[in-house]
Amino acid sequence: MIEVRQLSKSFGGRPVLREVNLTMEEGKTLVVLGRSGCGKSVVLKHLIGLLKPDAGCVLVDGEDITGLPERKLTAVRRKIGMLFQSAALFDSMSVERNLAFPLRELGMTDEREIDARVAEALDMVGLGGEQMKMPADLSGGMRKRVGLARTIVGRPRCVLYDEPTTGLDPITTDSINHMIRRLQRKLRVTSIVVTHDMKTAFHCADRVALLHEGRVHFDGTVEELRASKDPVMTDFIEGRSGETD
Amino acid sequence: MITALGRTTMESVQYLGQLGLLTWETVKAMFVAPIRWRLVLQQIIEVGSRSQVVVAVTGVFTGAVFAAQIYFQFQRFGMGTAVGSVTALALFRELGPTLTALMVSGRVGAAIAAEIGTMKVTEQVDALRSMGVHPIDYLVVPRSVALIVSMPLLVAEACAFGIIASYVIAVQMLGVAEAPYLRYLNNYTHPSDVAIALIKGFVFAVIIACVACHEGMETANGAAGVRRAPTRAVVISSLSILGMNLVLTFALNIVFPSSR
Ligand SMILES: Nc1ncnc2c1ncn2[C@@H]1O[C@H](COP(=O)(O)OP(=O)(O)O)[C@@H](O)[C@H]1O
Ligand SMILES: [Mg+2]
Repeated sequence: MIEVRQLSKSFGGRPVLREVNLTMEEGKTLVVLGRSGCGKSVVLKHLIGLLKPDAGCVLVDGEDITGLPERKLTAVRRKIGMLFQSAALFDSMSVERNLAFPLRELGMTDEREIDARVAEALDMVGLGGEQMKMPADLSGGMRKRVGLARTIVGRPRCVLYDEPTTGLDPITTDSINHMIRRLQRKLRVTSIVVTHDMKTAFHCADRVALLHEGRVHFDGTVEELRASKDPVMTDFIEGRSGETD
Repeated sequence: MITALGRTTMESVQYLGQLGLLTWETVKAMFVAPIRWRLVLQQIIEVGSRSQVVVAVTGVFTGAVFAAQIYFQFQRFGMGTAVGSVTALALFRELGPTLTALMVSGRVGAAIAAEIGTMKVTEQVDALRSMGVHPIDYLVVPRSVALIVSMPLLVAEACAFGIIASYVIAVQMLGVAEAPYLRYLNNYTHPSDVAIALIKGFVFAVIIACVACHEGMETANGAAGVRRAPTRAVVISSLSILGMNLVLTFALNIVFPSSR
């Protein structure tokens, strides 16, 4: 459904991505691994045209979106939901209005239906009944889950999750992992999960890609990942920095 | 020195280019995308309605001190009765629009830059874009329209309060005869003076909106950037207002010649 070809991007002369190639299949989950600062969020932002590549292109349903002006990207963006790493809640709006926002933008006007969809999405992330809270009054983990609810409330065909479980407790992490899997199984949502949490990776992934020094160092199935003897891979999976006390 | 001057000039030209681009995008957005009237109304309340006290107080004190000074000087030539008309002309043509704009740029321009800047660095602007909402449509157009609608009214309000204050000072306190005072006021202020006030108010609104939205949208570098954005917005828009005022004074003197 989404294809990334030879994507390169630098910031201020410093290359972050160098000729990245990735393919996301319809209805499947791709997990993108990589250390902090290696450019995972930058990859996601390219997929919906929030950033423009220096070279290479992004195809969504076969259409090259890299040259599209901002207003022409709306159609693509409505197919794809994105959970930002920082959750990016609108801090002038209550939780309820944050969730209703994308629905209204999609053209929904029936308030009863909007309320029902908002409640349903909040239930899915375990925050039923928190409609009236303001983002400033939520903990980091709760903000993340509200962000998640806002991402899925419009029922996009494809969801980009930027570190959906980072900073959450193990129980919530597990329930989010199940939710990602459930959405994919039941609603055939194409998912891209950026994470450095191996549990999330093993739980959710159909395919796994590892970004390392701006390139795709590994791209394969979970079984291939487990079987890999590559030191970069094994260090990452087992969390070894190579340092000693 | 020369190179520094050259660089400053280059940067100013570049900055003007960026403002021009934003203005063009904003005007275009008003035609290609539906205007969000609810947000406009919300902003008019925020921008216009809540600025009234500040602007009225500015008008009162400006009118009062100006009337007093004019009286002190003019009564030596026995022209104390002209205080009202001179004060009104000064208020309509210069003081009202300029001081109102400076107050609004400090109160509203700074707030706009800080608000949009915060949304920018916390990825809220990107979140809008990710939902297919153009930040110009959602953030810039409502604030600009609200400023453009509000400013002429605020300028008129400042002038009105100034004229009332000058009447109180001159007639009630300093004992200028009321009848000739009002006759002068009537004979020597024209609709063109009011027009000048409103036109200046409109132009200054455009400056405040463009600079504040631009500074907000260009905010980077986290909290440090957010701290800089309102300061830059106020400094740049205030200086631009003062400079543009000089240009407008000459230009409008051609449009409305003061030979009468
Ligand atoms: N808008 C930007 N401007 C400048 N540098 C950026 C920008 N976005 C990301 N970077 C840089 O790109 C690198 C990768 O960032 P990011 O994709 O956020 O990493 P992560 O893999 O942790 O998500 C970082 O070094 C970051 O400083
Ligand atoms: Mg990231």
